[in-house]
Amino acid sequence: MTKSSLLAADARTKKRNAAESRFKAYGFAAICVAMIALVVLLLSVVTNGVTAFQQTYITLDVVLDEDRLDKEGNRERADMAKVTTIGYAPLLRDALLTKIAELGIETELSERDVGDMISKEASATIRNKVLANTELVGETVSLDVLASGRIDGYFKGRVTMQSAARDANTSPEALELAQALADEGVIVTQFNWRFLSAPDASDQRPEAAGLGVAILGSLYMMAVVLCLALPIGVASSIYLEEFAPKNRWTDIIEVNISNLAAVPSIVYGILGLAIFINFMEFNQSSPLVGGLVLTLMTLPTIIISTRAALKSVPPSIRDAALGVGASKMQSVFHHVLPLAAPGILTGTIIGLAQALGETAPLLLIGMVAFVREYPAAFSSDAGLFGEAATALPVQVYNWTQRSDPAFVERASGAIITLLVFLLFMNALAIYLRRRFERRW
Amino acid sequence: MEDMIHVDRAMSTQQDIKIKAKGVQVYYGDNHAIKDVDVDIDDKTVTAFIGPSGCGKSTFLRCINRMNDTIESARVEGDILLDGEDIYDPKVDPVQLRAKVGMVFQKPNPFPKSIYDNVAYGPRIHGLARNKADLDEIVEKSLRRAAIWDEAKDRLAAPGTGLSGGQQQRLCIARAIATQPEVLLMDEPCSALDPIATAQVEELIDELRQSFSLVIVTHSMQQAARVSQKTAFFHLGNLVEFDDTDKIFTNPQDPRTESYISGRIG
Repeated sequence: MTKSSLLAADARTKKRNAAESRFKAYGFAAICVAMIALVVLLLSVVTNGVTAFQQTYITLDVVLDEDRLDKEGNRERADMAKVTTIGYAPLLRDALLTKIAELGIETELSERDVGDMISKEASATIRNKVLANTELVGETVSLDVLASGRIDGYFKGRVTMQSAARDANTSPEALELAQALADEGVIVTQFNWRFLSAPDASDQRPEAAGLGVAILGSLYMMAVVLCLALPIGVASSIYLEEFAPKNRWTDIIEVNISNLAAVPSIVYGILGLAIFINFMEFNQSSPLVGGLVLTLMTLPTIIISTRAALKSVPPSIRDAALGVGASKMQSVFHHVLPLAAPGILTGTIIGLAQALGETAPLLLIGMVAFVREYPAAFSSDAGLFGEAATALPVQVYNWTQRSDPAFVERASGAIITLLVFLLFMNALAIYLRRRFERRW
Repeated sequence: MEDMIHVDRAMSTQQDIKIKAKGVQVYYGDNHAIKDVDVDIDDKTVTAFIGPSGCGKSTFLRCINRMNDTIESARVEGDILLDGEDIYDPKVDPVQLRAKVGMVFQKPNPFPKSIYDNVAYGPRIHGLARNKADLDEIVEKSLRRAAIWDEAKDRLAAPGTGLSGGQQQRLCIARAIATQPEVLLMDEPCSALDPIATAQVEELIDELRQSFSLVIVTHSMQQAARVSQKTAFFHLGNLVEFDDTDKIFTNPQDPRTESYISGRIG
């Protein structure tokens, strides 16, 4: 046998080192694939959706003609309400025509086509404004009104001259006119607060569609989930972990909780439909039902993470508390629970984030409905959470189903909003974990 | 072996019996861990339990303040009387018992709270202090008796977990004596400590003997010889021999005891 040297690696060592470097390379490759997937996902969402946060407006001086809006001349709201949005549309069209004439822009467009450059939503907006303040009648008001979806799309690069030529809803001439108006500063692009505050809009007016009701519905549901799932989940975990006898029944319960966590979420939707809507007769599409369904879905997650957090508290702390004569409950509430709190909070927030992004069960309880109105929170008989609303992920689903490509932009914008909420919640979870983490 | 024995250890045989155990059996499921143990523990005395690992000395110690209740499968039979009252009587609330019979554990386990709150926790939950000044006094007294006041007085608000191992164990002793127990059980209190910290704790045990009855489980025969007046030798769940410490170490009656203290078994 020859004497081996430390300076030359022997065959076995070489083999082991090679295996180790191969393993590192696999791991690195896996990370790279994951990062690329993430970057592609974010890029595609952001490039599609970031324009949803910009909106094109036309600045007009609208003459609120008394003859058209208040035929009785008495400024009575009830009488004036007889004039529908169809009555307001010509006012806006005339205002735009006047503007074009003032600026001396030549166009071959018919009056009707010029009117179509203004969003149909604009006449509703101005009607609400007038009905809210009847004194405006007879005056000339300066307003920023929504441009139609195609004009908006032109300034965002979605609609081109080529596509406009094939489009029944707009024409290259309209785009040229819009460009001329933009050069004069009549058409401007502003940050789109309406996207975050306005309710959904119909297929014909994507420029008016907003996330307001969806955000509100999601927040209501999160409130319901937090108020129900956290106390129920934490209480049942504490009972199971600290007080319940360890026997066959608790084993069965434990196995079933783990199984529930793996149940497809749509099953909870069917359950919610059967129990909350058909049996308990809560309103369809209401955040209350949505929240209850999501609570059922989130409970196993919260219970499992809370139990893990309670388990990770060293038994010596319980012994110490019992040793100085604390009761079981005192030892749990004074010592174990505070130590488990960061884990419980993290689990809860992860559960909430999961619930916030959940779509499938909500489809079954009617949250996919087209909701045009804000839920009238306190005034209604249905109560705070009983009025129809929708939710962020469902709104995304809803918009992606529509034919107008403008809704693709809206849907991506909604995804960005949803991701921002999720990012915020996860950041909060990390912060809370760092803040309350204590060593023992 | 001669050098281990403190000759000046004052022993009075007429002391009151604090704890009387009669025919104690402990089962963990099917495992018979303690077999028919009879022990009388005197007041204001240090009683040491020695024996090889797994002989049941810690198990027996945990029976005295019913810490075994927390173990699902444990079952205790026989009588353990504290001042003549059966502590396993169904009318006894273990919480009340543990206020009287304090415990110090093998591994220092301060609460992850301030030093002050560690000591004040027991008095608070038992309502021993009427006001803040009272509580301050109890905390100071307990820390002084546990010989850690000088190190801790300037950092009472600092976390107890930031202390060194020996300091933590003395803090745990302070926490245990703050509830004014009558008996203090110590389960290998020095096994996680270095020799200097061990010496400090041993000195402390000798002092505490003035006021409490102490029961200490130890793996170190030298420690048993140094600090205790009475020694019980456990082997395989049996109490083999129980007598004055001097006798156990100089003139053991049972051949198993002799083998153990001379290092042939265990």
